[in-house]
Amino acid sequence: MNAFHLQIVTPDGLVYDGEAVQLSVRAISGDLGILANHIDMVTALGMGPASVRLDEGSAPRKAACIGGLLTVSNGSVKLVATTFEWAEDIDKQRAENAYQRAKSVLEDKNTSERDLKLAEAKLKRALVRKGVANSI
Amino acid sequence: MAGVSMKAIKTRIKSMSSTKQITKAMEMVAASKLRKAQNKALESRPYFETLYAAFTDIAANVQDFSSPFTEHREVKKSCYIVIAGDRGLAGGYNSNILKLVTAQAAQKDFCVMPIGKKAVEYFRHCGVPIVSETYAEAAEVTIGDCFTVAKLLSKLFLSGEFDEIVLAYTNFVSVLNQSPATIPLLPLEHLGKTAEKDGGSAMLTLYEPDPVTVFDAIIPEYLGGLIYGALCESVAAEQAARRTAMDSATKNAEEMIADLSLKYNRARQGAITQEITEIVGGSEA
Repeated sequence: MNAFHLQIVTPDGLVYDGEAVQLSVRAISGDLGILANHIDMVTALGMGPASVRLDEGSAPRKAACIGGLLTVSNGSVKLVATTFEWAEDIDKQRAENAYQRAKSVLEDKNTSERDLKLAEAKLKRALVRKGVANSI
Repeated sequence: MAGVSMKAIKTRIKSMSSTKQITKAMEMVAASKLRKAQNKALESRPYFETLYAAFTDIAANVQDFSSPFTEHREVKKSCYIVIAGDRGLAGGYNSNILKLVTAQAAQKDFCVMPIGKKAVEYFRHCGVPIVSETYAEAAEVTIGDCFTVAKLLSKLFLSGEFDEIVLAYTNFVSVLNQSPATIPLLPLEHLGKTAEKDGGSAMLTLYEPDPVTVFDAIIPEYLGGLIYGALCESVAAEQAARRTAMDSATKNAEEMIADLSLKYNRARQGAITQEITEIVGGSEA
């Protein structure tokens, strides 16, 4: 398998910069797999699990990737995410707490429209993080 | 007579040393805040740069469709996002960035989205229309706030409230050097102009699922990311500027104290000499 240059950045810093052979992420239109020599592309990311295979022999590294965009230009891939956490770095307890908090806000009948939307987004995020953390 | 001037000098020394204490303390606070801000700026820099590079790429290649974000339109009104500090006493930090914006926008009809108390105060004083005053504390703006600002501005941009968005911030070059800068954010066309075109060959780019959807989704992301990056840079620059300014203020105070002490000692010696002369004169008489 051919390798390509992959850069993963978030506002908290550079997550990964180096070679990879396969990347899969959840874009707004569905799951997306990238291999080397991909056509130039720009897409927006949704919330979901991501996985990166750094070289052919190794198992893919899992991560939770939320929001942002993915560009491929001249064969190098840039993943600019709002948050990107490797599965092993996710604090399960925090994800669980966030999930419970969001759920209780959603169940409360007095929440405003805006808070409801916020809580919904938080719930989704917590679910993704929980799912990813439990998948390893 | 000598006694009066001695007393005056002593009070001045006293007030000078308390000033020195304050500037020294401010310098230390700025230094510790700077360390934190510098780390944050360095961490966010790859994100900032990658995001910017990705969008210059996109802007350079956009031609096969028209999205309101890339479309050329006559600039009737501009919006400046101005990031300044919350407090003064930071050397030229606040005035440099505000001067730059005023000079650049002088010919234009513009409104501002100020971030930082000094920016809010300045533009309110000038009578420039302000989009929102919610973000008066630059140090407390989080990444979430940046995305909220971005969403608000892109909505206003789409509704035709203004025709271009420019971001003004201070670049943290090093601890001793900060330079104010502006970058055009929207429409993307401006960005394409600043990018070097390689050979002019049109690259085919795939937009998944389609250009309009992609742009609607990533533009707020792009704005928010760049605002956040610029904010981190500016906060670091502010602390660095304050640290340098306070450092030189402390040095000046020390110099003045040394100078005044010398004068004080001279005056004291003068008084003693005079007294001796008087005693000797008295005993001779």
